[in-house]
Amino acid sequence: MSLVGVVLELALVVTTMLVVATLVLVGPRRVASSTRDFRWRLRRCTLPLAVLVFVLALRWSTVDIVVRLERRVLGIEISGFLFELEQSIFPENPVVILQSFQSPELTSFFVFVYIYGYAFLLLFPFIAYFALEEIDELRTLILAFAANYGIGLICYIFFVAFGPRNYDPLLFEGLLYDAFPQARMLTNQVNQSTNVFPSLHTSLSMTVFFLAWLSREKYPLWVPISGFFAVSVVISTMYLGIHWFSDVVAGTILALVSVYIARNFTIRETAGSARRYLNTRLDRSDRVDGD
Amino acid sequence: MDEGDPTRRNLLAGASGIAASALAGCSERLWTRAENTAPEQVELTIKTVPADDDAAAAKIMSHLRENYQAAGIDATHEPIAKAELYRDILLEGDYDVFVVRHPGFDEYDALFELLHSQFVSGRGWQNPFHYSDVTADEHLESQRTSRGDRHNAMAELVEYLEETAPYTVVVFPHHIGAVSADIPITSSPREPLEFYRILSTETENGPRDGPLEVGVFGEGLTERLNPIIVDRNRIDGLLGLLYDPLVRRRSGESIPWLASDVTWEESGRTSATITLRDGLSWHDGTDIDADDVVFTYRFIQDTSMGDIDGGLPAPRYRGRQTIAENVTRVDSRTVRFSFGNTVRSASTRSLTIPILPEHIWEPRSEVIAQRQTEALVVEDEELIGSGPFELGEVTDTAIQLVPFDEHVFRDSSSDRPFVLDGFSQYSGIRFRIDPNPGAMIDAILDGEIDLTATTIPPGETAPIVAHDEIRLTSVQTDSFYMIGYNVHHSELGNPRFRRVLSRLIDREYTVSELFDGFAQPANSFSSLVGIRDDRWEHRTDPILPQFPGTDGEIDVEQVRTLFEDAGYQYENGSLLE
Repeated sequence: MSLVGVVLELALVVTTMLVVATLVLVGPRRVASSTRDFRWRLRRCTLPLAVLVFVLALRWSTVDIVVRLERRVLGIEISGFLFELEQSIFPENPVVILQSFQSPELTSFFVFVYIYGYAFLLLFPFIAYFALEEIDELRTLILAFAANYGIGLICYIFFVAFGPRNYDPLLFEGLLYDAFPQARMLTNQVNQSTNVFPSLHTSLSMTVFFLAWLSREKYPLWVPISGFFAVSVVISTMYLGIHWFSDVVAGTILALVSVYIARNFTIRETAGSARRYLNTRLDRSDRVDGD
Repeated sequence: MDEGDPTRRNLLAGASGIAASALAGCSERLWTRAENTAPEQVELTIKTVPADDDAAAAKIMSHLRENYQAAGIDATHEPIAKAELYRDILLEGDYDVFVVRHPGFDEYDALFELLHSQFVSGRGWQNPFHYSDVTADEHLESQRTSRGDRHNAMAELVEYLEETAPYTVVVFPHHIGAVSADIPITSSPREPLEFYRILSTETENGPRDGPLEVGVFGEGLTERLNPIIVDRNRIDGLLGLLYDPLVRRRSGESIPWLASDVTWEESGRTSATITLRDGLSWHDGTDIDADDVVFTYRFIQDTSMGDIDGGLPAPRYRGRQTIAENVTRVDSRTVRFSFGNTVRSASTRSLTIPILPEHIWEPRSEVIAQRQTEALVVEDEELIGSGPFELGEVTDTAIQLVPFDEHVFRDSSSDRPFVLDGFSQYSGIRFRIDPNPGAMIDAILDGEIDLTATTIPPGETAPIVAHDEIRLTSVQTDSFYMIGYNVHHSELGNPRFRRVLSRLIDREYTVSELFDGFAQPANSFSSLVGIRDDRWEHRTDPILPQFPGTDGEIDVEQVRTLFEDAGYQYENGSLLE
């Protein structure tokens, strides 16, 4: 199966999941009414959307530079440190413990969650929040995603680490690519094997879950569903041997920080205060120059 | 009031006296602590590739790390992607211990460049250990020049290397491949000659109007295409299909390639006169002549062509280039090589360097940074060579080699080497690049490729064995997994220490447990330095020391005794510096 095949299958499965979830959780009426004034909605999220697109484009277009910068110039190799740290904290590495419950059914489930469940979890909130009366939740979601990717990118430049499966194949198993080797074609498109700290799978999934909790009055049913998927994704990253426990902790912290940023700052305000700050600095320096 | 309180003053004086004398005793202790540092635990970082790049290397590392730790060494492990690992160990010398798969020696003399102190500051596979030993140098020189008793000189060298252990060999892995039933070969290809043999052999369905589809896997295989650098991941054999050498070697035999004829002169000093074939041209149409040959040897010696003091050699082919003392042009099709006292079989190695086009590479001798030339950083997108194939389309998932019709070997009536009888049954080669072995194996099971080239990890052979139309092939090769030591590290500089370290891996266990039997253990003097037993026909080795432990795990007490006998001490189970 080629990359195109893998992508098509992903698109088919995730679309089906999205349609079902939209019909059940959002309802046809809400969808219909929201599409009627989609221009207004889109206009209101233009700015955060532009930021997210910019961050994603930056990530995508600078892959070569970032990989070189990270591996040859700036990056610090930390997988040895993470391994030793976890060995000293836990009697048994959490990844080893999770993998000890290994069964074909469990592996299939986690592979499904890691790839399809994750894509669904990330995409569904866009539909759900778009369909709301107010557009604030959608703006927060977009901004939180942008913060996740932006901060994650910076971390990846400074921290070079390989996941458990790459670190030590005798202790940890690479279950994902044993079960579904072609998935690597997909993950290669979006990520490098040295980008494991923090886990963006964890941070984005937890971000969705945290936002689901904050908007629980609008979509009460989405809270348990997103919680189930988010926790499953988090466990899958470790069960499949992709991430260390430390990556997951860092990913959760990144999610909290991103949600905090997205809730408390808007781009317009941040840009405005930055402008005011620069203005006062420039004024002052003008005055100093004038003296 | 002051005079009225003599007792208090006395008391103070007395107290300070006591304090001073107490401090005097105490201070000596403090001084001692400050002046002397206690010996610390020996620390070693093992570098190797991540499991994605080479699962076997990562497993050997894991096994090694456990044994080092059990022996009281503070061993940590650092996985590094293949290109960066080569950069660290072969260019920067930035490592303590590494585990790497070495492609194998083409001749005994390959040990010379690996270990001779002449290359102590060399880059590439030229003495990456920074090993410098007068006795070893003598043995290396004498095997190269002794005409009567080279075998004896080799035996002495090999025994000496067991004692000093600048590196050690763990196992010789089998090359495992999968081949579809209609391709009549018994092993999957790694070297150019193996590719040529497949391309020259007719299939059951007759000549194919399409390329041979070859499966490979790995990261960054299409990046940093440049034939003379080492810090990159590469497809085995690919460069050899694009670039022709003067001579190719196969199991000790030499096959004139770009040369139509090689005349050896061996009485006294060794020399060879090479005549180039008629009608040779580069992929861009320029003619190949003797100047290109002379240029190639000069350029590998100094990629700055004289602009950098002392020269800046290419990290690749450098060892083989140094065998030739002098390369001179006789006329436009004739070149004379002189090899000094070097024996012919070692000298022939020098003729296997791929020839580079002067008109492309001469401008790349420009110095672009301190001790750096453009030639060593350029990403060569065209790879203009002289081989029967030229580089076609390169994408992230495939490299295409298309026939170069002007090549003399394309003419079946020309005087071609016998391996090319029937060449070519295919219109080119297409390397399909998969991200991991699993995807490559699925590709052959689905009939998308004809055969695999990158070796298949021993644990993943089951689906191939189960398939009716696909054959599993497994052959011994010269390639080996080695553990290299950086002699600049304070403990690794000690040969006794290295010798004990070299015993801390159970080679039999590695073969049976980590390679599922698809490997040969290195358990003789010659194999410990990388010469396979069946390539070693000399006197029988004395008995080697055994692995100090059982089933892969070391016997801690026994290993402690070994280190203590080598002059080291233990404290609370830690091996001290």
